[in-house]
Amino acid sequence: MSHIHFPDGVLPFWLWASGFIVAILVGGLFLRLTKKEELTRRLPLLGMMAAVMVLGASVEIVPIAYHVNLTVISGILLGPSLIFLATFVVNVILALFGHGGITVIGLNTLTLSIEGILGYFLFRLFWRVIKRLTLATFLATFIALLFSTFAMIGVVSLGTSHYEELIHQEGKGIFEFHLSKEKEEHHPGEVDEEKVNLRRFMAIVLPLGFIGWVLEGVITLLICRYIYRLRPDLLHLEKETL
Amino acid sequence: MIQLSYLDYIAVERKSFLHRLSPKLKIIGMLLVLFVIVTVRNLPGLFLLYLILLTLFFTARIPAKIFPLTLYPLIFAILFIFLSGFQIFFILLIFLKVLCGSTGVILLLASTPYPSVFSVLGRVLPSIFVMALFLTYRSIFILLTVLEDTQHALYLRGGVQWKHPWRSLINIANAFGHLIIKGIDASEKMYESMMLRGFKGKIHYRRE
Repeated sequence: MSHIHFPDGVLPFWLWASGFIVAILVGGLFLRLTKKEELTRRLPLLGMMAAVMVLGASVEIVPIAYHVNLTVISGILLGPSLIFLATFVVNVILALFGHGGITVIGLNTLTLSIEGILGYFLFRLFWRVIKRLTLATFLATFIALLFSTFAMIGVVSLGTSHYEELIHQEGKGIFEFHLSKEKEEHHPGEVDEEKVNLRRFMAIVLPLGFIGWVLEGVITLLICRYIYRLRPDLLHLEKETL
Repeated sequence: MIQLSYLDYIAVERKSFLHRLSPKLKIIGMLLVLFVIVTVRNLPGLFLLYLILLTLFFTARIPAKIFPLTLYPLIFAILFIFLSGFQIFFILLIFLKVLCGSTGVILLLASTPYPSVFSVLGRVLPSIFVMALFLTYRSIFILLTVLEDTQHALYLRGGVQWKHPWRSLINIANAFGHLIIKGIDASEKMYESMMLRGFKGKIHYRRE
């Protein structure tokens, strides 16, 4: 749910441009913190996990147009530095596929990587505290998705004045274009209807998001359990118990 | 996601004026489309752009079955209807922006192979990022093969039946778990073969 499926040209320039700048700065910082040999060695793994995320995004849970992100499980397997680069790559490929605008790649990377990075740290924390894989994975995924969805709503709310500007753009431009003439007659009670309604947006996004957090949480815990049964070394849990 | 391999196939196999155009020019064209999408705020302007893109789409011998891909992002644009308070002008503006953007990128990818797009991007983006893009692209095709085999195994075990949601979720999760483990094994082999071929932190690819 945290993936902003916004088209290009909707968010204000300053917002998506800042998204790119912050994403590049954060990405640069993470790359500096990672040893070059380590990065080179794990690059094929990064590519593979990014591909898993791209494939995950293609599994649509039809009624609510929700797809799994698999960012948390990828974060757990890749670690916080590499998951950032992986989400950047995933967003570029998804945008090239028409799944989210090209200009929002930076913002999408930031919101999606919150999931991966937070998921990684929460999973380690809950594993240390609870020592139960299923619960630790579910809680880490649920909370990480909750935070990233609110981050997405935060991003949307930052562009409120710009959307209002777009709404009131009608009739301006090269040609006059009137589709809803009757709206020119304003009544005092109708003023709010023409404004951007963030509450209504949240009322749609949050319940859908909740279903998504639970679904993704369950799928992630089942995947984690499957990996733990077959390749427990991939989760690096032994180190945490020592 | 199967369409990804089909798109790649069309980009390589089809021969039209758009396919023959240099990838650099097509990317510049896509940037122009983006510029128009970001700056133009009137319906006729965007409608004109959409008409141009549609004409290009149908004259560039791109199969019509690819066309629904350009409509897919509209599902998410519906969220904006709720944000705007159901303003027709705003909704049409958003829908046209979505359609122009998605038709533009699908047009680019259906006429330009991914490696050519990445090699152009490699001239402006850091090499580590372009390498990650290349490896992800390669991995998608490796995983698609694994996914096909997994799907067969999944069907034999009951597949995905929404009458049995819990069992279906377990099947989906196991399929992804299998995909991840196979992917990690493949990535280890990939790294070893890259090292054997003299990989020193940079992938060299053929230019146009």
